[in-house]
Amino acid sequence: MDPDAVAKAFVEHYYSTFDANRPGLVSLYQEGSMLTFEGQKIQGSQNIVAKLTSLPFQQCKHNITTVDCQPSGPAGGMLVFVSGNLQLAGEQHALKFSQMFHLISNQGTYYVFNDIFRLNYA
Amino acid sequence: MDPDAVAKAFVEHYYSTFDTNRAGLAGLYQEASMLTFEGQKIQGVQSIVAKLTSLPFQQCKHHISTVDCQPSGPASGMLVFVSGNLQLAGEEHALKFSQMFHLMPTPQGSFYVFNDIFRLNYA
Repeated sequence: MDPDAVAKAFVEHYYSTFDANRPGLVSLYQEGSMLTFEGQKIQGSQNIVAKLTSLPFQQCKHNITTVDCQPSGPAGGMLVFVSGNLQLAGEQHALKFSQMFHLISNQGTYYVFNDIFRLNYA
Repeated sequence: MDPDAVAKAFVEHYYSTFDTNRAGLAGLYQEASMLTFEGQKIQGVQSIVAKLTSLPFQQCKHHISTVDCQPSGPASGMLVFVSGNLQLAGEEHALKFSQMFHLMPTPQGSFYVFNDIFRLNYA
């Protein structure tokens, strides 16, 4: 499958899961996975999902503006670089963000090994 | 050396080279390196440096706001995620950008850029 199509499909799956079923993100991470969320470093799928499900909002919608991807090396990994807006329920203005994922393939699917998230302040 | 310190040192070196001696970036990429610049895909040190030195401005200054890094896996690579502003000479407002680098170790104990993705962050 075309890498750009794989990246786009992953991004759509990731953010729709985030927006509709945040605990469901647990299947996209593994024990060795790392998340840096606004500078805070978290390791392992349990801790990562605990962090994401404890963020101070119930409802949100990610709107993706750009998706770029590149192969990360001979081991078949993929780097995905995303920018977009995060609309929180009840907030007038959406938050802009950038996020990068390093996806590792595992039996025909991908999981997130590295994840770095940053808000883009005006 | 502490990975965060390595990442910070690399970022400072990369952007000071970009801002004062753009052609000198050739020392930081190799033949297999990839750059995606505002959606345009470029491969190989020659093509990458040709793209960066042909950008439509002479003078610029990068101001870095955030640097995050993580090890990328068993090959000892390092992912570096940067956000900041790019001030072009003569322009009133700085451009906001985000950039990610995937650094791979060289035999001499340094790093080169294997993957590079750059995006402006429009308001």
